[in-house]
Amino acid sequence: STMPAYKLTYFNGRLRAEVARQLLYLAGVPFEDVRVRRPDWPALKSKMPFGEMPVLEVDGKPLPQSFAINRYLAKEFGFTGKSPFEAAWVDAIADQFKDYNIETRRLFLVLLGMIQGDKEQLLKDVGIPARDKFFGILEKIAKENGSNGHFVGQSLTWADLLIADHVKTVNILLPGFLDGFPTVLDTVKKIESTPKLKEWIEKSPYSKF
Amino acid sequence: LLTTMPSYKLSYFPGRGLGEVSRQLFHLSDTPFEDHRVPMDEWPAYKDSTPFGQMPVLFVDGKPLPQSFAIARFLADQFGFAGKTPFEAAWVDALADQYKDYFAEIRPFLFVVFGFGEGDKEKLKKKVAEPAINKFFGILEKRAKDNGSNGHLVGNSLTWIDLQVSDHIGVLELYLPNAISAYPLVNEIRKKTTTDPKLKEWLDKRPVTPF
Repeated sequence: STMPAYKLTYFNGRLRAEVARQLLYLAGVPFEDVRVRRPDWPALKSKMPFGEMPVLEVDGKPLPQSFAINRYLAKEFGFTGKSPFEAAWVDAIADQFKDYNIETRRLFLVLLGMIQGDKEQLLKDVGIPARDKFFGILEKIAKENGSNGHFVGQSLTWADLLIADHVKTVNILLPGFLDGFPTVLDTVKKIESTPKLKEWIEKSPYSKF
Repeated sequence: LLTTMPSYKLSYFPGRGLGEVSRQLFHLSDTPFEDHRVPMDEWPAYKDSTPFGQMPVLFVDGKPLPQSFAIARFLADQFGFAGKTPFEAAWVDALADQYKDYFAEIRPFLFVVFGFGEGDKEKLKKKVAEPAINKFFGILEKRAKDNGSNGHLVGNSLTWIDLQVSDHIGVLELYLPNAISAYPLVNEIRKKTTTDPKLKEWLDKRPVTPF
């Protein structure tokens, strides 16, 4: 059977589309990597199923929501762990990351200069507690999983890609912020040294987030 | 081929909240499970034994799994309520995550009406609840139409997103009686879901809680 045609539409950044791009690249599957410039977005918004991006099209049929896209591609290409229970743990880590993202949203918007705010106040009140809670969980998970370079199981999953991409952003915006989580940092290093992923990262345009 | 069914235990607070969809999946599939309800005053002692310091937690043969949507999806996959194809399953996931985004937007209103904090209910209703409801339920109404107005959000059979949305509407209506009057197709989905005979059995006998 012929491979479906994949098209991924998002802004020219990593944030919510990078994992999907990486999954397609890791699988060796050609895809149209559409990067929408900010001024062109308002005209496209109403065409998206939920008025937002990223959107994946599979043979022209749209699918919104980044985690739904990530999970769909990961299932197709073998990046969801080796059993339904492992796949569920990948989902659990991703959703815990989502909770942490919701908690730290204002802080990161301020760090990126997108909104006004008191960076120090947000770090103290929100950033540090959220970091300690979430990365504390990841540190424990990585250790319990055998410090083997993965957060779940013995092979690369989309949770690994999700965390590694976010850590890249944190290292750019808040150097040293994650020094208290050495197993996580080591896990991310191992993830990023996966040959095909390393290839993708090296040839991708630099993006702060 | 005979396989033994795993033993299941679901730990959550006594309310519906983030545990109800998973409880419903057990009842819909006639799968026995321990419906472990942890009262608020017992939670602090139990907390450290959970993987993320939170509930719900599903135990499958004693192995824990946290995060409500990971649990619901896992059970839905096992019992046949996750859509009939990978693409359908992905659309169930997309709608569930859109619900999650909506819930984050409406939370400040719900927090106050549930009685967890102080706030101006009328102001929050106008500035927070109504915009969030209009955006999300507008998406659902269109989705219901695109799906063929067949009483389901995805495909032509019950999925866990039908359960999630129906349960939430029940909660919303306690505090905003006409919350979905502008969304007739969504109301049809809620009606069809809540009158499913197996589900109705559970709905009629479950403990009544405010949320």
